[in-house]
Amino acid sequence: MPSEENLSADVVIVGSGVAGSSIANELARAGISVIVLEAGPRVDRQHFVENFRNLENKPSYQGPFPAVPWARHPPDQQTPNDYLHTTGPNAEAYQQVYLRMMGGTTWHWAGCAWRYLPSDFELKTRYGQGRDWALTYDDLEPFYYQAEVMMGVCGPDPAVEDLGSPRKQPYPMDALPISYAAQQFRKLIQEKTPWRVVHEPQARNTRPYDSRPTCEGHNNCMPICPIGAMYNGSYSVYHAEAAGAKFIPNAVVYKIERDSANKRVTAVQYFDPDKGSHRVTGKYFVIAAHCIETAKLLLLSADEQSPDGVANSSGHVGRNMMDHTGVQVTFISGDQALWPGRGPLETNVIDNFRDGNWRTDRGAYLVHMVDDNQVDLATQLAISKGYVGRELEEQIRYLASHTVRLFSHNEALPDPNNRLTLSKDHKDILGIPHPEVYYKLPEYTVRSCEHTRYVFRDLIKLMHGTDEQWTPGYFPQDHPAGSTIMGTDPKDSVVDGHCRTHDHDNLFIASSSVFSTVGTGNITLTVAALALRVADTLKKELAHA
Amino acid sequence: MPDFSKTLRVLLSASTVIGVCALSQTPVHAEDAALDQAVLDRGAYIATASDCIACHTKPGSQPFAGGLKIATPMGDVISTNITPDPDHGIGKYTEQDFEQAVRHGVRKDGAYLYPVMPYVSYAGMTDQDVHALYVWFMHSVKPVASAPAETTLVFPANMRSAMAAWNFVTTKEEPESGDSSTYDPLRRGKYLTNALEHCGTCHTPRNFMLSEKQDRYLAGTSLDGWYAPNITSSKTGGIGNWSEDDIVAYLKTGHANGHAQAAGPMAEAVEHSTSHLTDQDLHAIATYIHQVPAMDDDMEHQARDSFGKAIEAQDIRQSAPTRIDDLTEMDGQHAYDANCAACHGQTGMGTKDQYAPSLFHNSTVGSARPDNLIMTILHGVQRKTEAGDVSMPDFSGHSDVQRLSDAEISKIVNYVMATFGSGDPHVTADQVAQFHKDK
Repeated sequence: MPSEENLSADVVIVGSGVAGSSIANELARAGISVIVLEAGPRVDRQHFVENFRNLENKPSYQGPFPAVPWARHPPDQQTPNDYLHTTGPNAEAYQQVYLRMMGGTTWHWAGCAWRYLPSDFELKTRYGQGRDWALTYDDLEPFYYQAEVMMGVCGPDPAVEDLGSPRKQPYPMDALPISYAAQQFRKLIQEKTPWRVVHEPQARNTRPYDSRPTCEGHNNCMPICPIGAMYNGSYSVYHAEAAGAKFIPNAVVYKIERDSANKRVTAVQYFDPDKGSHRVTGKYFVIAAHCIETAKLLLLSADEQSPDGVANSSGHVGRNMMDHTGVQVTFISGDQALWPGRGPLETNVIDNFRDGNWRTDRGAYLVHMVDDNQVDLATQLAISKGYVGRELEEQIRYLASHTVRLFSHNEALPDPNNRLTLSKDHKDILGIPHPEVYYKLPEYTVRSCEHTRYVFRDLIKLMHGTDEQWTPGYFPQDHPAGSTIMGTDPKDSVVDGHCRTHDHDNLFIASSSVFSTVGTGNITLTVAALALRVADTLKKELAHA
Repeated sequence: MPDFSKTLRVLLSASTVIGVCALSQTPVHAEDAALDQAVLDRGAYIATASDCIACHTKPGSQPFAGGLKIATPMGDVISTNITPDPDHGIGKYTEQDFEQAVRHGVRKDGAYLYPVMPYVSYAGMTDQDVHALYVWFMHSVKPVASAPAETTLVFPANMRSAMAAWNFVTTKEEPESGDSSTYDPLRRGKYLTNALEHCGTCHTPRNFMLSEKQDRYLAGTSLDGWYAPNITSSKTGGIGNWSEDDIVAYLKTGHANGHAQAAGPMAEAVEHSTSHLTDQDLHAIATYIHQVPAMDDDMEHQARDSFGKAIEAQDIRQSAPTRIDDLTEMDGQHAYDANCAACHGQTGMGTKDQYAPSLFHNSTVGSARPDNLIMTILHGVQRKTEAGDVSMPDFSGHSDVQRLSDAEISKIVNYVMATFGSGDPHVTADQVAQFHKDK
């Protein structure tokens, strides 16, 4: 445990995931002193790989990461959840998972590194829905590129495949080779439908990059890349540490202190696992603790000065919870074998439903043709059909090579009634309340999901599919957003366009919690770009301080 | 590693300062020479075959501008700028000055080069090839107007004059003559191996005077942590069991299936030099290497690539995952499973295309010396040729992929060598530490 007198820095960051660690890295490299407080422990890859091997249920993304009691995180999606309690008509659609540990949730993700479309930042202006962000695509473009370089993103040449987000620089790495399954799928879509399949930008190495090896297609990006070819926040932690940033693990921040005028944050307090309390002072503070934990911490810091929580004069902290709600189907193709499961998990996307005038009426979505190994599912199906012996083996081979899995993630809208609160009934071993979320799918999203189902049925028909298995209801995509929403008006938003809280001059938030709308791609690259923009603001302000 | 400090004191006591006898010829410049493309092409090829770039370029910096720190028994030597910049490079060198440096280790100002510059090998270069090399450097290399830091060795090694005495006693390559491109394969192979590629610089052990021991020619020696193995025709100690095609494949791609793969300095030699040679020249080298007198090895008594087989991996899975903060050190088998098996396989067979090589029938694992296995784990493998961009991450204390303790590395080394190689070498954590100290 560090001695108390050292617990002061120019910038204090809460959270060591992609947002917190990349800010720490940028600031430390500029000679700024940084302390990062991480609620979870310091970890390493080899133990997760062993946990993954020990795991019976391989597709369990949270499985290899059993939490510590002082920094709990939710268990798997759609399992009874005794940490993130969800209520409301669509409670099951908000059982988000994330990790509380050094490096954050990018320990398990699929590396999807989309830039948002310019229209995603102007949904209200262009389509009369949701809100506009307090910044434009052009404001973020240089930071998108910086994030791509930091993470190591590969993607298609825009001259060949324009993904709709204008680029000033080429991708840091060339696109991935296209797997056999993806080639078949692309050909089908191109020849038989008005749609297209694009190469999804991926934060994974297609050549040795940043002292990490080239992707070998192990096909278990989730739950753990065994070789470090895919980006995760731990690399930024290492880089930041090498540049002089100080990371303190097992430091569960529970209180944000402000000055008497309630304009500036003066310190944060954290518990160690034994509930010893420590105080960390600084000039600037960044909360980068994931959408759910960030809002939880702001609410938890309520006191006489701020009875509704820190940075919450608008009353919007914890509101506007959004996600990319999932619709998923698997089926057995009646055409030739696809042999999915070779290469990275998610690389092939139908992006025709990402933008259009119909966004006045229903949400946008991406369709992923998931390239994951289907032996588990094929085995279950073959057994359920009653096959035994040699026939069972043959069926498993046939089904595994013909299984197609499609899922879409559908855009939500900010609705203040979709709200995170502190649980009154459940507390962790430190006495900190668990988060609780009320969730009702916006009609806009429901219509998008319905549209998805039509498209999926078309695709099943096109591939002469049988044995359809639809994932029941709506399922979460672990892209929570909106809990400290961005806007220009302090009366109905929590942060401004630079992710600075309206209420406290030196308090920033780096998380998908600032998203004004949830956008049309996976969220991580935008989280990283916003974080790097926060780092840029802090560097400028500290240089002039 | 032997103690060289005494050696150098002996060396110094016999040293004499040699005066400067610079010749007043003017350097060649683009405008005053009719450029003969054939000469330039030949010069470029000689520069590649002599692997000048390996030492005279700092990774990520301008080619031939120097600045690379090279560890030697005498201390770190910093390579110099050999671009044709007149002030910081060799722009003012006449061909004669150049020849003196390349073949005799004498700088334009008369000072002696440290023999980390392999002039004892380059001494064998023909006049025609030295000329071509000079013309190519002067015309085709981009001048870089910056000087790397000076080499600062501690006394007595900092006395460049000591090298004069050393030069007097050391064995140099016999000068070749005529047109080297017309040599028969054996002569061409010898010329490439000795005068240009200077294989003996790393693969021939040195005597107490730091000269290559000609009676142990190519018989293997330690080099900055790596072990440059015995590459004589001995079927047990060397590579006498390799076919000519194996040697050619190794030099062309850095990998010979079922034998060995290049890492560390050899990966650099393959990447920068041997992979760019013509197939004809690679065959010439193989022809020559094949008839180098067999030297047995005092430790290797069975061909290094003959050990091991695919194993039926025992199922070591446990029923429950451990908590994320459980960083308990694993035993060798679990550590192998967690860190190595993803690429090299539970069975040790590697990938089908051998991008990740099999660990059995692998010289690094079959060697009685664990040095190169330890170094590979500590430094990884980086090797880019036309055959591919091979990359194994490092597992040192600086790794972004996985940081292993010396104890964990020792357990993996012992497990891998016991399971797929020449037997458990009982390496300890302290021994592993010796390989990365000061790094």
